[in-house]
Amino acid sequence: MLSNNMADPRRQNKILRYKPPSTETNPTLEDPTPDYMNLLGMIFSMCGLMLKLKWCAWIAVYCSFISFANSRSSEDTKQMMSSFMLSISAVVMSYLQNPQPMSPPW
Amino acid sequence: GFFFCLGRYNDDFDDGEDLADFDDNDFAEFEDMTDDSAAEAETAPPPRASPSLQPDEDEDEDEATVELEDGQDGFEDPDTQDQDIYSKYDQEEFEGIGDMEKTGQSMKDPLIIHTVPAHLQNSWESYYMEILMVTGLLAYIMNYIIGKNKNSRLAQAWFNSHRELLESNFALVGDDGTSKEAVSTGKLNQENEHIYNLWCSGRVCCEGMLIQLKFLKRQDLLNVLARMMRPACDQVQVKVTLNDEDMDTFVFAVGTKKAMARLQKEMQDLSEFCGDKPKSGAKYGLPESLAILSEMGEVTDGVMDNKMVHYITNHADKIESIHFSDQFSGPKVMQEEGQPLKLPETKKTLLFTFNVPGMGNTSPKDMDALLPLMNMVIYSIDKVKKLRLNREGKQKADKNRARVEENFLKQTHAQRQEAAQTRREEKKRAEKERIMNEEDPERQRRLEEAAQRREQKKIEKKQMKMKQIKVKAM
Repeated sequence: MLSNNMADPRRQNKILRYKPPSTETNPTLEDPTPDYMNLLGMIFSMCGLMLKLKWCAWIAVYCSFISFANSRSSEDTKQMMSSFMLSISAVVMSYLQNPQPMSPPW
Repeated sequence: GFFFCLGRYNDDFDDGEDLADFDDNDFAEFEDMTDDSAAEAETAPPPRASPSLQPDEDEDEDEATVELEDGQDGFEDPDTQDQDIYSKYDQEEFEGIGDMEKTGQSMKDPLIIHTVPAHLQNSWESYYMEILMVTGLLAYIMNYIIGKNKNSRLAQAWFNSHRELLESNFALVGDDGTSKEAVSTGKLNQENEHIYNLWCSGRVCCEGMLIQLKFLKRQDLLNVLARMMRPACDQVQVKVTLNDEDMDTFVFAVGTKKAMARLQKEMQDLSEFCGDKPKSGAKYGLPESLAILSEMGEVTDGVMDNKMVHYITNHADKIESIHFSDQFSGPKVMQEEGQPLKLPETKKTLLFTFNVPGMGNTSPKDMDALLPLMNMVIYSIDKVKKLRLNREGKQKADKNRARVEENFLKQTHAQRQEAAQTRREEKKRAEKERIMNEEDPERQRRLEEAAQRREQKKIEKKQMKMKQIKVKAM
């Protein structure tokens, strides 16, 4: 039994449960990308809808995709979906109002 | 009455009156209301009139006749006739008339076919910008799926190669904190598509160990493109938390020169206890690429034993930083008020950051190369438990800690005074309010008196103190 204790470092009685590190104490550790992209996506969607700019709406779609790819698993999927739907609707509305193709800026 | 009208028409010519005046006959619509020459007016009435008029042609000279060229009926020269007819039509009603006239005229000139402007076309080719956008989105989605899968495979490969070592050292391998019983989940927690973590606990000499696999954001195409400019590598971060008895009081770090410079600036404990610039480890046999930050020489001597040096030298390319500290509190926290009011909480910690070989182009096989580093971690845990400073070292260490605490208290003295003052004022205000709110005037008076007496006592005490200080000074 002695040799067992010496060789085996495991201790059942010393088990501590996992506690997810609180993000309040370390705000710098959190990646701000998904939040920024979400906000940017919403702004571009609104621009695209209000000003009827097609390229704004397309950029909004890209922003919401990027935000989704960078998001944490603990984050609310509802927010992701809502920004995604908003950007898709911006694109669709721009084309319904003006079915002409986008002209390149050059 | 068609022919009757024709007859009437003839009679009207005899009078020599202008056709334009007669607007109540069936041919009114054909009459010319403009000041064109009589010749035009004559061509306006339809050629139906011509057969009956022709015999009159010779007789009437100063009457308006339908002058048609010999041998022709009205339709033979449609172009000129059309031209005249259309030119009378309202310019605004008919667009492109100019074009038609041109095409009409150019019977001798080659036909000019004008291209229809792009916005009137209906072909798919004009939508090439949209097709580009959609293709970009599809590429992004493809990259997301491929990147996510790659990261997942790498994580699984890491876990498979390290599982045996971890399970032989820890009673609990894998825990997400949610289950009721403390049972090993035996798998990694996925935080997001590029970060996986694993909690191990139940071992001598430590509280627990948190391993974080920080992969590159392969699932984000933007990040993939950015990494083409600036290469980066996957990292594995191991954080071992210790109980008080598991470690003596010292602060030490070793790693790449860049990492040491950065940590010395960023980390609260390294900046306070390891003030000197990072030193070379050549004395101990470490490669030139690595540097050491230490609280005192004795600590470095104690940590850098032969086995440790052996580990570090053999795997120097994979080591980013190794940080042992009894005063670990994470990076310096920037507070808005200027200074934090309390010393940050510290925990005895061993922190290891390893770089996965391959610089981003890693394959699951490369994960095996990290196994010796995990052996080093286990060795460090046992070693730190046994490492004790001698008397001198302990005294120095205690002095250092006292010094740091004093500095901190001094810096925050003014703020703490202010905080105490506000607290006292709050208490007074609360008491006054209580007195005001008392319904019973008797009780109110009594409470007021009690408060006044307390104030008086305080003032007396202060006066006594001032007197004592004055006496002492004298």
